[in-house]
Amino acid sequence: MMWLSSGFIFRRGSSRYHRLDPRVKLLISALMFVTTLIVRSVFQLAIVLVFMVAVAGIAMVLKRVAKTMLLTTTFSVFIFLVNLFFTKNIETSALYASRFIAIVVSTSIFFITTSPDELERVMKMFRLPRDVVFAFVTAVRFIPVMMLDALQIMDAQKSRGLELEKGNLLRRVRNMIPILIPLVVNAVVRSGELAEAMESRAYGAVPRPTSLVEYKASVIDRVVATGAVALFAFAAYSFYFLLPTFMP
Amino acid sequence: MIEFREVTYVHESGVKALNNVTTKIGDGETVAIVGENGAGKTTLIRHVTGLLKPTEGEVLVDGVDTRQSSTATLSRKIGVAFQNPDHQLFSESVKEEMAFALRNFGFSPKLVEQRVSWGLKLFGLEEYSELSPLILSGGEKKRLTLACILAWDPEVVMLDEPTVGQDAIQKEKLAGTIRMLASTGKTVVVVSHDIEFLWPLQPRVIVMKSGGIVADGPAPDLMMKKEMLESSRVAEPQLVSLYRELSKRPSAPFVDALDARLWIEADQ
Repeated sequence: MMWLSSGFIFRRGSSRYHRLDPRVKLLISALMFVTTLIVRSVFQLAIVLVFMVAVAGIAMVLKRVAKTMLLTTTFSVFIFLVNLFFTKNIETSALYASRFIAIVVSTSIFFITTSPDELERVMKMFRLPRDVVFAFVTAVRFIPVMMLDALQIMDAQKSRGLELEKGNLLRRVRNMIPILIPLVVNAVVRSGELAEAMESRAYGAVPRPTSLVEYKASVIDRVVATGAVALFAFAAYSFYFLLPTFMP
Repeated sequence: MIEFREVTYVHESGVKALNNVTTKIGDGETVAIVGENGAGKTTLIRHVTGLLKPTEGEVLVDGVDTRQSSTATLSRKIGVAFQNPDHQLFSESVKEEMAFALRNFGFSPKLVEQRVSWGLKLFGLEEYSELSPLILSGGEKKRLTLACILAWDPEVVMLDEPTVGQDAIQKEKLAGTIRMLASTGKTVVVVSHDIEFLWPLQPRVIVMKSGGIVADGPAPDLMMKKEMLESSRVAEPQLVSLYRELSKRPSAPFVDALDARLWIEADQ
């Protein structure tokens, strides 16, 4: 579980991509996301996926993106089968299934290279309500904590003779109760404690608190952002006017 | 008998949590594992019930490799009380919480009832038996987790930071329980930073640092090695510090006549 989910959780990295302005990283991921929606064939989508893998390579998160792809492949197989059942068209079904992988990978690259702090600042720059930003960022920040909790709870219950891997489906679902109750209770208790801790540190005391870091885009950031937009424009033009003519 | 043979454990992140650990814990021994945060103490005990499998080497429980057995099976022999009680409490009542493991291990309803009332009495939890375990205080929850473990009468009892959140009286009672377990031939392993709690138990002490064992021996011997303790970031017992300070004063007549061991014996 931890192994698969690590494809979505931020870890500090030293690549040039990690050091980019978070707004640029958001732009690149957003453009990749949109590109996956405008492609018209599996061939075009394959090109987009190769580009995403290249970005992951530059960001030195190739292994973790591969894990993300592995996780989403199981869902995409389901999407493929459902589409095939209703549309009876292999190409369309394959396009929808692989589009799902591409969408997840594009967002995954952003989340695993952008720290929750950077995410918070980016959201504030877009003038989103402070409470909404805080709730979202806290949720992101607590994903790994809750996963660790879940693993520790599973260990504690296994040590009390609970067999999680044995029995039929109904029994396995019932065996999840001793895992889920402490997990939910811990999450509720933790959120209450966090709220108290935030209030005791003057959260909400002023409507617009100051920020420790003010982002200023560097020359590299500007060049990368311009390049990303140009590449997106070229890709969109190619997908509609050039590539379809080369398709068999 | 628990045996660690050249055990190395590397986390998924690449961090080496245990580094070539070789040691044995004999039947009926009382062992304290001490060391700074991140030294590998908890990782070591998690190997015993097969919750973690060694990257290299092997862990044997009564000659059986933990890789060959499920955690549930090993837990029948080895009871582990984890650091955070909130990670295991889920039942509707304290009584049901205690009965959970007993039912998993296939105890008869009559025996379950007997063991539950014995555990509740031992840890002074009888008045809470019908209450939800989630509303207990931190110290009470901790005692409940210990009661849950002892209820199925494991051969080995492992306690991870058992004194956290306990007041002085409860610590005394806990020490008494550990002595009682030791006197009945149980193997007791205590992971703790609380040297003052461990010291009167006079356990065999395993000092860990950076995933390895840096010292292993009887408490009176190891606790006098100030440099080793300092380098492992383990606090010296106050009694030893007092002895050391008084020893510097030749005019103190009673210090010459005593050494730390005598003090310990007197303490007991």
